[in-house]
Amino acid sequence: MSLNRDRAEIAFTFKGGMLPMTVMELASGDPERIRAQLAGKVSQAPAFFQHTPVVLSVEQLDEPHLALERICAVCRAHKLLPVAVRGGADPVKQSAWALGLGWFPPQETRPRAVDSKPAEVPVEAEAELPTPEATGQAGGRIHRGTVRSGQQVSAPEGDLVVIGAVNPGAEVLAAGSVHVYGPLRGRALAGIHGDREAGIFCHDLHAELLSVAGTYKRLEDIDPRMLGRSVQVQLKEDQLRISALV
Amino acid sequence: MAKIIVVTSGKGGVGKTTSAAAIATGLALRGNKTVVIDFDVGLRNLDLIMGCERRVVYDLVNVIQGEAGLNQALIRDKRSENLHILPASQTRDKDALTLEGVEKVLGDLSEDFDYIICDSPAGIERGAQLAMYFADEAVVVTNPEVSSVRDSDRILGLLSSKSRRAEQNRDPVKEHLLITRYNPNRVDDGDMLNLEDIREILAIDLIGLIPESEAVLRASNQGVPVIHDDKSDAGQAYADTVSRLMGEDVPLRFHSAQKRGLIARMFGGGARR
Repeated sequence: MSLNRDRAEIAFTFKGGMLPMTVMELASGDPERIRAQLAGKVSQAPAFFQHTPVVLSVEQLDEPHLALERICAVCRAHKLLPVAVRGGADPVKQSAWALGLGWFPPQETRPRAVDSKPAEVPVEAEAELPTPEATGQAGGRIHRGTVRSGQQVSAPEGDLVVIGAVNPGAEVLAAGSVHVYGPLRGRALAGIHGDREAGIFCHDLHAELLSVAGTYKRLEDIDPRMLGRSVQVQLKEDQLRISALV
Repeated sequence: MAKIIVVTSGKGGVGKTTSAAAIATGLALRGNKTVVIDFDVGLRNLDLIMGCERRVVYDLVNVIQGEAGLNQALIRDKRSENLHILPASQTRDKDALTLEGVEKVLGDLSEDFDYIICDSPAGIERGAQLAMYFADEAVVVTNPEVSSVRDSDRILGLLSSKSRRAEQNRDPVKEHLLITRYNPNRVDDGDMLNLEDIREILAIDLIGLIPESEAVLRASNQGVPVIHDDKSDAGQAYADTVSRLMGEDVPLRFHSAQKRGLIARMFGGGARR
């Protein structure tokens, strides 16, 4: 009886979640410059600007005071919804809270010389993409060769095709689908901007982590019978489904 | 122009310095003018392995900071007149190295030597990056265990993006895999990764396979590079490695378990040559 009463009283539960989130890394605090650049971006990719939640990262800025309210207004005018601010001095934090935004501490500072940027990735021209599936995607990328531990290869728009192995400790990401023609031993994230139709396709599955639109499975959660096989990974009813290819 | 070869691994304790000493000695014994540089500033070890620790006066940091000339700091090997050692400083840290300084030292050495062997410190930080930055070739030392393989993989990624050759869009650094401490019996027992698994993950040319051997520890403690011990399996394996570095085609040895004879089986199983 007490159990029933408890359940009736519960209005919500807290759950941890990993959601795909766009970070807007500001290189300037000038709202007019931001407005000018945003106007250009909207015409390039109108689909992206549909009340998309963004985190404003001000880590690269050295200004103690920011016209945060005006920057937010510019973003909203272009259908971006600022939900939080990352980094910045104390006044920035205070004004973020005053505007009803969350505040995140700056990202852990990693030694810049080592891995502050993803490894340089050779990217062939789209015309050379061998599969029609990839050529059909705007901004698709193709990577030839092994993706090694600590390297990150991403296709921020479209599909990513890797011709080679993705080794343990490496990460491959795409706004669209991820295709790996080789053993997948690292992490693969498809649909990083929330595309639930995206999938992961690979020969020889040994992935540390598989994620489609933020729903993920760790190696531990993967059915051992699927390991070492050619598989496709898709999001079905909020679950990752791993099925054998052929 | 000298060929610059970095001996690196990411992980510590896998045999970088042992390998650098053996390879440099082997190249010198074949008549190449060779210098081996210890980049492990603060944890100087190469001089011990080379048996010249009592003759160190000046070091790499002194040269870079202009406190000594290159010829004052170079130590000539006792056993081979073609071989010189440039020791690291034990009292400084790796911040004492500068890119320009290292470039100048390597440039000056290039005029007099055929081979420059850079013994990298462990890790992927500044010291390791400086050791690899100017390399033409890299020997990636890997033990048959998963953490060593992963760290080697990481280093290979850095070699392809953080070297001068990569930054100038020249031919990439030529990468070679050197597997050390390989024990075929333990591989067969499943305690160690086998050769094929390592090659499959790292996907680079195998330049040598050094068996786990007591000769290595003995050589380190005596300060005589193990390649001088030509009766030992490890010494022979390093000699094969040097031959391959010089472009010769030598068959791989020591990769499969030896059948133990009746006597060995009677007198304890742990017999390792």
